[in-house]
Amino acid sequence: MDAFGMGLVAAMGALATVAGASEDIDSDIGSQSNPNSQVQLAAQVGNPHRIYNKAIAGEPPSNALWCTTAAIMAYVLIEGYGMPLLFAAAAGASLAALFDGVMSVSAYLGRNASQARFNQWIYLDILRYTTPSIMAHVWITSFCIVLISIMQVYILTPHHPFPIPVIALVWGLTVGAIGSSVGDIHYGGEREFQWRLFGQGLNTMLSGQIVRKAEAGLRNSIDNAWFCAKFGGPCTGMGFGLTVFLDNWRTTVFDPITQATYAILMGVFFVIVMNLYNFYCELSARRKYGPYPGYKGDIAA
Amino acid sequence: MNFDANTIIYLLEIIVGGLLVGIGVHFVPVGGAPAAMAQATGIGTGTVQLAAGSGLTGLLSAGLMMYAMTLSPTFAQDGYSIWPILLTGAVGAMIMMDATMLTGSWIYAYAVGAPFASAKVNYDPITKFSQPPYVAPGTVGQGIPTVCFVSGTIGAAMGGLGGAMIYFPLVQINGNPAMSAIFAIGIFMVDAVLASWNIQGTIEGFHDPKFKKWPKAFKACLVSTAILAVVAILITPLVGGA
Repeated sequence: MDAFGMGLVAAMGALATVAGASEDIDSDIGSQSNPNSQVQLAAQVGNPHRIYNKAIAGEPPSNALWCTTAAIMAYVLIEGYGMPLLFAAAAGASLAALFDGVMSVSAYLGRNASQARFNQWIYLDILRYTTPSIMAHVWITSFCIVLISIMQVYILTPHHPFPIPVIALVWGLTVGAIGSSVGDIHYGGEREFQWRLFGQGLNTMLSGQIVRKAEAGLRNSIDNAWFCAKFGGPCTGMGFGLTVFLDNWRTTVFDPITQATYAILMGVFFVIVMNLYNFYCELSARRKYGPYPGYKGDIAA
Repeated sequence: MNFDANTIIYLLEIIVGGLLVGIGVHFVPVGGAPAAMAQATGIGTGTVQLAAGSGLTGLLSAGLMMYAMTLSPTFAQDGYSIWPILLTGAVGAMIMMDATMLTGSWIYAYAVGAPFASAKVNYDPITKFSQPPYVAPGTVGQGIPTVCFVSGTIGAAMGGLGGAMIYFPLVQINGNPAMSAIFAIGIFMVDAVLASWNIQGTIEGFHDPKFKKWPKAFKACLVSTAILAVVAILITPLVGGA
């Protein structure tokens, strides 16, 4: 273990936290992943809305695409042209953001045009000022992930044997999987259905009845980003940050060559702690919200 | 490449790895889009995506561990030892899956405000907590109860173990970590998708009645991985390989 390596792992954890948060906010602005089913359904059940609607792919494959695109450009610039690492990462992220912009615009236009029969309009003002914020968040995500990959391959010892694009592909898939499993709940379960009864799951009957009015005026996707940046984004960042930090911390503190057993046992310890913490969350949620008041079965709570 | 006794071992390792991935997916509690709306128990995403996210995080750890072994001064005599590579892959995958489920639980518990409950069993097999009183009408459970969390951890361990077990022989065959990683990702995806079809996209974990369907996925993964394994050992890189 050396102080430099620990600093690098800490920096990677911080970058991962930022990447996770921006990835989730990107998907919230664009209603990309699971909550998109409700945005899509809303117009069909008679609730046309002003919410951006891009579902380019599931979050993991699409983020893997952006991050790999960025990483390939960075890799070419570093290996082929000897460019500085930071500049290469920034240039790669810009390319990924451009790709994302093109696909977001075509997704929004295509999806809303196909819903014309349900009275869903294409709002050009939404397209104009929401697309750049989506691109900006994709830029941040892919920049952070390319930097993490660069650190793992060029700086952290032992250097990772995979090339930068493969590592960026894996981290892109992972950040998308975490954003889709964590941040989407805040957007889909909480923000889209704010007037359901609190303290219980969402009744299927409410599907498509998303909130369309904002604190002032009609709700748009920037309002959703404002809300989700308070809890859903940071939680996603925490999830990805924990993954990157804990996974690399154990192989940095314990030398993987001579102390492999300790590195593995440390990982098992983290896993046990997280299992216990989830049990605590379950206990506290059951205590706070209690059983459903109208429950008529014969199993005691 | 030369065909010898080792080739058979490599083939078997890839097939066992693929089977581990296929069965491991059955343990991961995924509820799909309804879970993201607190309408179903489990993690609110797709099976393949989550399994891939965790298994490939394990693959990164396994790749690093395998490379670190080659730096050891005694590597020339000892060679690779398989257990640290496989176990570190499993642990990396478990860390990713648990971090995801834990932060997801924070949102269920403190933002959406839903008590965790499974709609498939009356009592949680691990904590013995009663479930039906906490399931709101019009939903099939919410959140990630302890049994789902433990099941997800087991699934991630199997996925990580499987991913590492596919990667380990591939590197020894072609000596190129990048190509082996991509091929391991490919085999991983095939098995995860087959298992996902078997459970029709959602499952709560080992206590779910759908879990009993695993032998079908086992057979399908056995056939597909056997074919892929034969292809995998025939492929060698044009440059940079052994």
